[in-house]
Amino acid sequence: MEYALYLGCTIPLKLPHFEYAFREISNYLGLTFKEMEGASCCPDPVATQSVSIDTWLTLAARNLCLGEKLGLDILTICSGCFETLKTAKVLLSEDKAAFDRVNTVLKKIGYEYKGTSNVYHFAELFSQEEYLEKIKKILMNPLDDLNVAVHYGCHLIRPSKILQFDHPERPETIDKIIKALGAKTVAFAGKLECCGFCARLQEEIGFKLVEDKMTELKELEEEVDVMVGVCPACVGQYDRKQRLLSRKTGKELDIPVLYVPELMAIAFGVEKDKLGLTNRSVKPNKLLEKLNI
Amino acid sequence: MTEEEIINAEDLDYNFRYEISEKVGAKSLLKCIQCGVCSSGCTVTEYVDLQPHRVVASCLLGLKDRVLSSNAIWTCSLCHRCTERCPKGVDYSFILALLRNLAVKEGNCPEEYRGTIQTIYDNGYVVPYTGGLATNIDRRRDRFGLPKIVPPDLKEIDIIMNETGIGNLIKKASENKESDK
Repeated sequence: MEYALYLGCTIPLKLPHFEYAFREISNYLGLTFKEMEGASCCPDPVATQSVSIDTWLTLAARNLCLGEKLGLDILTICSGCFETLKTAKVLLSEDKAAFDRVNTVLKKIGYEYKGTSNVYHFAELFSQEEYLEKIKKILMNPLDDLNVAVHYGCHLIRPSKILQFDHPERPETIDKIIKALGAKTVAFAGKLECCGFCARLQEEIGFKLVEDKMTELKELEEEVDVMVGVCPACVGQYDRKQRLLSRKTGKELDIPVLYVPELMAIAFGVEKDKLGLTNRSVKPNKLLEKLNI
Repeated sequence: MTEEEIINAEDLDYNFRYEISEKVGAKSLLKCIQCGVCSSGCTVTEYVDLQPHRVVASCLLGLKDRVLSSNAIWTCSLCHRCTERCPKGVDYSFILALLRNLAVKEGNCPEEYRGTIQTIYDNGYVVPYTGGLATNIDRRRDRFGLPKIVPPDLKEIDIIMNETGIGNLIKKASENKESDK
């Protein structure tokens, strides 16, 4: 399958190792891409939407136009991008006045938004039966005995009437992918809690949410080897704040947090040294030892 | 018990509810039955001066100034649990974004948010991508063998931001230099 690949900005500019892992596993899975050259920030669903819904929708529609020009559906690799682009697509199909407003502005820069490209997050794609089967066949290092805590994050699954992605209270897409890699996913009460990254004006909210979730994971009977997420904001939030909290509180919060494609790449046998796995606050040394790679 | 406060009926802005509900996606405001499900599942409920169901009640009552000056509208992390769980289909998180838009129109835009808009205006991205920063980013990408970044035409971003009414929030490059002095 071929998609227009929408990278957004945080991953390509700040976390190129995430992009590398994603491109590697896509290769294994037989996906091909056309690059969306000239795409801008999605734009981010918090600041831009808060300041002006019209600006947010119009910039998003401009990006959607680039996918339409390629004649392909759009694949996103970040939950924020997914939320923005999918919401814009759904809202513009429901709200004729907004559709016309957006196109009046786009006309001035020579674009026309039609609404012909669908928007996907890779978690949706990879959790389909067809891809799960492929994943099982590709596995080089099955992740047997690994306990994985899955973090879905808010902007992947809610609001479900717009994102139409997974069950908003009992999601299972990412769990399916992780299980296909041979690992176990742990059940825990705070699984669907927000990471707090987007509560931007009060950082203590993020600290509290990260502390609550990580403390719960540390207290589980089975030892959690790794937490995974599909959004660079969530992954970065748990990674960085764990370190800061450990220093501040003396609690040992040290669960490595990986982007799902990174764990997939490990399982697919991508050379570990190429993956940039140490580019994070909590180093995944224990995890790699356990996997014996 | 909270302190009692008397507000005169003539100080209420009865049209405020319609200012919100006329927008597609926010019509649902009028359906609220004050059950409080939104507030009980709210990620930031213990940090806000007005909980979600009370923001909605205040909108319906016409307490425009109180809503727009509350910390509640800016504290939200947009986790969308309120919208997801509302039994009446009230899209609180979208209504909240609208309320933020209204506050910004009245001149109350938090600097963190304005800064993000500025970064997108200057770079096309939420991450600065100019000069030495861009060189470093390109170098890191090269190391991973990733394709070259092809940034957007910033003129197009400029036109979209100005045409959609947020031009006043943006400092042009010349003004930036002024303020650096």
